[in-house]
Amino acid sequence: MTVTTNSFDRILAGNAIFARRLTLREPELLAKTAKGQAPEVLWLGCADSRIPETTICDCKPGDIFVHRNIANILTPDDINSASVIEYAVGFVKVNRVMVCGHTKCGGANAAMGDDDLGDILNTWLEPMRALRRQHKSELDKLLTADAKANRLAELNVFRSLEVLKQNPIVQKAMAERGLTLHGLLYDIPAGELLVLEDGKTHVTATTETQHRLNR
Amino acid sequence: MAEQQQQPKHKRTISRYLQQSHERIFENNRKWVESKTRSDPEFFAKLSAGQSPEYLYIGCADSRVPANEIMGLDAGEVFVHRNIANMVPNTDLNVMSVINYAVRHLHVKHIVVCGHYTCGGVKAAMTPADLGILNPWLRGIRDVYRLHEAELDAIPDEKAKYDRLIELNVVESCRNIIKTAAVQQSYQDNQYPIVHGWVFDLKDGLLKDLKIDFEAMLEGIKKIYNLASSPDRRASTTD
Ligand SMILES: [Zn+2]
Ligand SMILES: [Zn+2]
Repeated sequence: MTVTTNSFDRILAGNAIFARRLTLREPELLAKTAKGQAPEVLWLGCADSRIPETTICDCKPGDIFVHRNIANILTPDDINSASVIEYAVGFVKVNRVMVCGHTKCGGANAAMGDDDLGDILNTWLEPMRALRRQHKSELDKLLTADAKANRLAELNVFRSLEVLKQNPIVQKAMAERGLTLHGLLYDIPAGELLVLEDGKTHVTATTETQHRLNR
Repeated sequence: MAEQQQQPKHKRTISRYLQQSHERIFENNRKWVESKTRSDPEFFAKLSAGQSPEYLYIGCADSRVPANEIMGLDAGEVFVHRNIANMVPNTDLNVMSVINYAVRHLHVKHIVVCGHYTCGGVKAAMTPADLGILNPWLRGIRDVYRLHEAELDAIPDEKAKYDRLIELNVVESCRNIIKTAAVQQSYQDNQYPIVHGWVFDLKDGLLKDLKIDFEAMLEGIKKIYNLASSPDRRASTTD
């Protein structure tokens, strides 16, 4: 297969529309963002194409500082995410950190098994696979592969929140200026963002969504 | 780093204000779902069937550069990694796992590295200061400076020098992506992905294509970093 430039030209055309719309409808936003950023939120989410944070939250450029990786995994020794957290919390001074997992996550699915995905992905997914082993009895009780992977995605969010709580710059900001941490789960089939509360399962989900998640 | 615009806020109103901004996100999310469903009732059903994005975007974590929005793309169209100053360090497991997954499992056709002018991360790297935990990360940008020292030192204007470093940092990230076995092997077998370098300008919202000559860069890199034709090509065990 030969890659044509079509799909690439399409982007540059899309960008021209974005820029024109912003210039016409919100010239003050463009002027404001050119001066600096003061986002309220740091978003730590999955690289999955179906969860564009600014779009699904109907936010604007300048609203959300973003790090996205495979399966929103946070580990204390990863300097990539640690630098983002340091910069966002320590310098940009966001007021809240949101860790967002999601249903139908390819990373969570892969972490449900031990297939050899190559050194890089095996190593990256290991914390999530360890989490699966740790919660084996709970996960075994769930009936479908989907339900298991969704629960693992949730457990992974709680795990990431624990990693954040151990981070000195986060601890300092929580104590000194009331930085808050939030766990979220984005449900792809519904397009809905759900708040996770410690230990509980998708508490704010509508009955319909809960039904589907539990099935 | 002096990017933060301090808003004078009375302490007592802060928590109420925060609560409102939090609720706004959920409210906006519900509105977005409604409007999407209205224009395409099958939108979420299609997304839940799986993702097959054509693009991998590697950009800065900066809030002012929302990846898919600046590209005019919707949910499901672009796989995204964002970090401080759109770096692709050769030994960073985080970004390497994203590239690996996008190339080997999602078969993306294009990989875009997108920097932006007035990048705070690049600015910080140009500032002679100890930035603690950020030091090892920003060292990558200082290395880009060193690689292009002659060119950068010859630019008298500080702003022009800063802009050029931002561009060169994008070029070096592209080079590091092309160094991976995943990209070299996939390109040899499929003629994709193609790697592109862009810079986003916050002043007018436009993307500038640095017009990286992918083929030429790949050929240059293969002289030293050829990983496409190793005798034991086990796709699953190399990067
Ligand atoms: Zn995911
Ligand atoms: Zn930046």
